[in-house]
Amino acid sequence: MAENFHSLMMGISVSMQPYNFMIAMIGLVLGVIVGVLPGLGGANGVAILIPLTVAMQPISGIILLASIYWGALYGGSITSILFNIPGEPWSVATTFDGYPMAKKGHAGKALVLSFFSHFVGAVLGVIMLSFFAPLIAAFALRFGPAEIFSVMVLTFSAFVGLSGKDPYKTLVSIFIGFILAAVGMDIVTGQLRMTFGSIDLMGGFNFIVAVIGLFGLGEIFLTVEEGLKLEATEGGRVTFKDMAWGVKELIIEWKALLLGCLIGCWMGLKPGGATPASFMAYGFAKQSSKKSDEFGHGASAGIIAPEAAAHGAGTSAALPMITLGIPGSPTMAVIMGGLMIFGLLPGPMLFVEHPDFVWGFIGSCWIGNFIGLLVVLAFAPLFAAVLKIRFAIIMPIIVYVCAIGAYAVNNRVIDIYYMIGFGVVGYLFKKLDYPLAPLVLALVLGDMAESALRQALLISGGSPLVLFAPPIALPIMVAAGLIFFWPTVSGLIKKARMKVGPG
Amino acid sequence: MRKANLGVAVFLFLIGAIVMYDAVRLGWQYDPSSGPGAGFLPFYLSLGVLLCTSVFIVKQVMQLSKIGIVGDEPLIQEGGLKPILWVLLPSTAMVVLVSIIGLHFAAAIFLLFYMRVVGKIGWLECILVSVLFPVGMYIVFDRLFLIPLPDGMLGNYIKLPF
Repeated sequence: MAENFHSLMMGISVSMQPYNFMIAMIGLVLGVIVGVLPGLGGANGVAILIPLTVAMQPISGIILLASIYWGALYGGSITSILFNIPGEPWSVATTFDGYPMAKKGHAGKALVLSFFSHFVGAVLGVIMLSFFAPLIAAFALRFGPAEIFSVMVLTFSAFVGLSGKDPYKTLVSIFIGFILAAVGMDIVTGQLRMTFGSIDLMGGFNFIVAVIGLFGLGEIFLTVEEGLKLEATEGGRVTFKDMAWGVKELIIEWKALLLGCLIGCWMGLKPGGATPASFMAYGFAKQSSKKSDEFGHGASAGIIAPEAAAHGAGTSAALPMITLGIPGSPTMAVIMGGLMIFGLLPGPMLFVEHPDFVWGFIGSCWIGNFIGLLVVLAFAPLFAAVLKIRFAIIMPIIVYVCAIGAYAVNNRVIDIYYMIGFGVVGYLFKKLDYPLAPLVLALVLGDMAESALRQALLISGGSPLVLFAPPIALPIMVAAGLIFFWPTVSGLIKKARMKVGPG
Repeated sequence: MRKANLGVAVFLFLIGAIVMYDAVRLGWQYDPSSGPGAGFLPFYLSLGVLLCTSVFIVKQVMQLSKIGIVGDEPLIQEGGLKPILWVLLPSTAMVVLVSIIGLHFAAAIFLLFYMRVVGKIGWLECILVSVLFPVGMYIVFDRLFLIPLPDGMLGNYIKLPF
């Protein structure tokens, strides 16, 4: 433990170096702008900037990418509260109570509450990251291919069983993601798969291009379809009085805060990401509150719970990414893609081979989230002013920037066409309620999952039983099965309880 | 939205069928001498897609025959298709232009077109944004970070003076 503490201090000092500090500031400001703009979200904001990081040191690169994420997490709430326009999907739940509170003339208070809750959620997530990541990584060193594959099965069954969406649609999303990942040259046999003679398809589909299309263009199509209406509220300046009030309110509503943090961390680990976490936390906070009739009219707890959950999920999503190589949210998946471009393969070996990098990253999570809080507290009205620029100007600029990002990944023009194609797919899938996060995750993990499966089968001589080998793979697979059928399982449990009867 | 749901499911079913066809060609079985073939995982993935989409299609068709299409919400809300096409078609045109005159010039035209024709924004503002923004992007990407963005076929003839 003392050793870890020492490493953490070292990591913090790395992220405090002037150059890295400056990078973090730039990333945070860009991130808040990304967060404020609807149609430009955390995942594709990070994806667009990945090409820029290639020229940097890996540690500075990841600090930039992560800072954009932290900034976007903070920034999404600004417009939710002031304009009733969620800048990010994870701040939709904030509009329920944040906007009514701002409308009553307490915009500053609503912003303070949101930023503070974000910060508390972030701190809990980062604490988990700092102290559990080394333990999990050390345990995961014992994993072979079969165990790695079983962890992936667990990850994807969580999407099916716990997301509450149509399981068939979720499954199709996962399969399509893996299929897209398989297009191109097979790394083991060198055969061309699903290219049908096309040279363009030989290079396969890059997931960064997919993210920019699915989340970037798809979101823009949704935004223009609904039309963007600005209903600005007055104020937005944060005073010290508001801050003092905010601290007091957080202490009064400690239950909502704790609930938000815990749901957030759980959703970040499992993985679900920040968006479902914020909705879930709002629902639970409303159910458990004594003043549930205040919800929807500017209740403090209605801001605190979803915001803490969103940021808690965002930061704790880094934990499975860095220890197991399985990102806990779509944005983390993109950041992980950035790591792979640097030649760093996330997973337990990262802790052994590049401890300076890992701890630098964890250190920057501490620093980035803290500076992020100061930045948004000081400049919230300034960032909100970005939305006053007409959408007809911002929209084509976003498309342009997306095109640059898609092209720069592999320097191929065909990728910009793919981006537009993915945009249409993203729009359709969103409309028809096919979840996008598992598709992206499958696309990222496709190659890793396939080679793990093939190696495991080679070791066992073709027997699929190796995937259920005790002592590690078996319990993971059993857990995966339980979670996969969770809706059925929980139904059975309820029935069994009914039969026993009360008492 | 039920018709669109059905349409997308049928489309995904077809994709699954194509992938399965290719997986069988690649060899989907376990080969005792070399392990799982290149089509091993794709085969099971496509099987999964085929199974899930067929269950979904059957469910949809049964629902459709029971309730019918009456009262179904359309996929794209009323008046929503036009603004979407106003984004989709110019963006596609921009990508086509990229291979001819390069990304920055294509983007400048796209920006000018969208702001002026769709956004009805004043000429001065339009021209300022559509000139200054691509120049800024050019400086950041091509000059500062040395990431060459596509010049297009005419790249050697039209060049920025810096």
